[in-house]
Amino acid sequence: MTATTTRRPPRAPAAGAGGSPGRLVTGIAVRQVRRGTLVVTLLAGLLPAFVAIQYRSTFEGTIGPASLAALADNPAIRTLFGPAVALDDAGGFTVWRLGTVLGVLVGVWAALTGTRTTRAEEEAGRWDLLLGGRLSLPTVVRRHLGVLLVAAALPGAALAVGLLLAGTAALGAVLFGAALAGIGMTGAALGVLAAQLAPERRTASGMAVAVLLTGLLMRMVGDGVPALAWLHWFSPFGLLGRVEPYAGDRPLPVLVLLAMVAVAGSGAVVMAGGRDVGRGRLAARDTGRRASRLLRSLPGLAVHRMRRPVLAWGAGLGAYFLLIGLLATSMIDFLRENRAFADMAAQAGFAQLGSVQGYVAALFALLAVPLGAFAATRIAATAADERAGRLSLLYASPVGRVRWVLTETAAGAGAVLLLAAIAGLATWAGAAWVGAGLGPGEALAGALSVVPVALLCLGAALAALGWAPSAVLGLGVLPAAGGYLLLVLADSFRWPAWVGDLSPFTHLAAVPAEPWDVAGAVVMMALAAVLAAAGLTRYGSRDLRG
Amino acid sequence: MDTTAALRTEHLSKRFGTTLAVDGLDLTVPAGEVFGFLGPNGAGKSTTIRMLLGLLRPTGGAAWIFGDRADDVQRAHRHLAYVPADVALWPTLTGQECLDLLAGVGPGTDLAYRDELVGRFALEPDRRAGTYSTGNRQKVALVAAFATRAPLLVLDEPTSGLDPLMEREFRRCIAEAADRGQTVFLSSHQLAEVDAVCTRVGILRRGRLVEVAGLAELRRLRRSEVVVDLARPAPELRRLAELPGVADVREVSDLRLTLALTGPPGPVLGALAEADVVRIDVREPSLEEIFLDYYGEVPA
Repeated sequence: MTATTTRRPPRAPAAGAGGSPGRLVTGIAVRQVRRGTLVVTLLAGLLPAFVAIQYRSTFEGTIGPASLAALADNPAIRTLFGPAVALDDAGGFTVWRLGTVLGVLVGVWAALTGTRTTRAEEEAGRWDLLLGGRLSLPTVVRRHLGVLLVAAALPGAALAVGLLLAGTAALGAVLFGAALAGIGMTGAALGVLAAQLAPERRTASGMAVAVLLTGLLMRMVGDGVPALAWLHWFSPFGLLGRVEPYAGDRPLPVLVLLAMVAVAGSGAVVMAGGRDVGRGRLAARDTGRRASRLLRSLPGLAVHRMRRPVLAWGAGLGAYFLLIGLLATSMIDFLRENRAFADMAAQAGFAQLGSVQGYVAALFALLAVPLGAFAATRIAATAADERAGRLSLLYASPVGRVRWVLTETAAGAGAVLLLAAIAGLATWAGAAWVGAGLGPGEALAGALSVVPVALLCLGAALAALGWAPSAVLGLGVLPAAGGYLLLVLADSFRWPAWVGDLSPFTHLAAVPAEPWDVAGAVVMMALAAVLAAAGLTRYGSRDLRG
Repeated sequence: MDTTAALRTEHLSKRFGTTLAVDGLDLTVPAGEVFGFLGPNGAGKSTTIRMLLGLLRPTGGAAWIFGDRADDVQRAHRHLAYVPADVALWPTLTGQECLDLLAGVGPGTDLAYRDELVGRFALEPDRRAGTYSTGNRQKVALVAAFATRAPLLVLDEPTSGLDPLMEREFRRCIAEAADRGQTVFLSSHQLAEVDAVCTRVGILRRGRLVEVAGLAELRRLRRSEVVVDLARPAPELRRLAELPGVADVREVSDLRLTLALTGPPGPVLGALAEADVVRIDVREPSLEEIFLDYYGEVPA
């Protein structure tokens, strides 16, 4: 008998139960980004519209053309706050006031979301299941990238709609929105690209955010030093400035932004092809150096875990505050010569900008935001360890949960002090270089005076660790980022005093121009202690996740 | 209070939302015993272990480790070492750093024995934990646990990722621990492994302890399979079915009879004496058969 009895493998049905596999992956990606997208989109839609409307009732017509020209010409103003080109217009004022802040917020959010939905999923092994199906790695990456780009563009769209409804010029609103969308999409594409390069989410997030913040620094340097203005073309934030919404209304920089997105995005898809799942293009060392002697005790472990973040944040803060110091003299001269702006800045919460002490004090208030964010990320890392099950072995040793979290908290608080000191000394170094007359003690005191706000963030993060462990980062950042925003809005638009009093920043004195607000610091630290105690009590008695 | 028990629970219960994961568990494991903790997926084994370690808080009841309450981890955990089912390590630390850390915070480690174990389990300690396979991560936790001199070892499915060679090494380590007088609480799916190393087992089903017995006792209590070969047909043996403890009498052929026997074999042997028996084969049930028996399933 010659009949072939070859067995044929059973044929797979053409499509799975719930549609094509690619669309299922898109669905997975959408589910992971939708909540954050909603929050950021609402913020980007409402806040600028709100500022534009409030501007009409507050500032309209108060600034003369001569003052505007002086503002636009001053390199220090441009460096810190971006080019001031159309402050006599509600839309233009909104761009100047919120453009950079929203750009950083949306860009960083998009980059972190990018690494969270790709590298973190891959690191956790969940993509192994996905890729066991009919999909290739580049397809899965491309699907996620597509969803992320749309999500990152939505805040920009909401911004344009909000400003249109607020009655600002149509072309300006659309271009501002397009630029913000471009920044968000650049962040998302950078996040996915970094996720192809680095094998761990933490490293990938750090890379993507570092590239974005380098872009911010390039924007600042390009604005401050006319010879280096070409740097704008390589920075998403610089391009936003070049668009000049409500003034120049130039579309070309938006196209350059989209080209950046295309380069980073296609780079991500290309890098995804032919790489091993679970590994990055940049090979991490498989074998370690000699075993660290730190890793023999709990405090040692806490210090070990703190080293790399402190180095990274310290480098960023050091660079920024060195620049602040270097700009001191030109900034003060400008404000002395243009009283209108000194008054306006005073209304926006920057009092006593006429002296170097007042100027650095105003900028040290900004320092509380990154310090608080840093403190929150450290407790968020503890929460992530718990969810990943990395604490099970530790807590099966004679190590109480509260003891370990207190050890990490102490290390985090120490790191916050160290970062504040770095910022203070960098400011002093910059100011000393230009001979602004700022003493090292004054600079240190000013930087350290905002530490209570960061401790408040630490307390809020600990409370979240106990009661809402999936929201540690958001709740931890709230006292600093939310409080800052609240203060600026309350001051700018003369809200009732009690609203502003809710912000921790109301209770910070302008050190070194004024003496410390001891009562404010004590209240904040007491509140931080109460929050921490509530969180730790709950953390010690609740079920461990993971 | 019985402080000599290595581990004791009283009405230990855990509820997750509407699910009762562990229901009124009363269990005592005396010091020096190698105790097997059996049960199908989702029976509540890991939940029980995580309550014993204070990682989960009981909804009701309590547990003690050598007389110290399980939720007082600073005291209770001086008596124990733990290997989780799914070992998660900080990916950037090397295996050696993980071992150093666990020794540094643990209940005391025999460093010379640890180095020996690293060799026996063929662990590469200078690799980063992120590059380890599941089995290698499990080896790190096993080496760290066996190298302690903790009087109680709590092992939650510790060999699910190990190859047969490492599995053999694991059984040796259990034997060495038992020789040193350490108590072992072993949760496992590998019944052959439990059969080989444990002296007593507890069987958990839907959060309830359905049986705690020594392995030998368990076998005695369960049915043995008896096969009788005859020189010539003996129809009168059908009456065997009426004897106490006898079930499933089947005539495989005219000359072969099988039956299931529970309890003492005397009456059956008496009845067989009248027939012309060539050969009797009594086979004790494997732990697998016992296990399946408890869950109402018959091996295929």
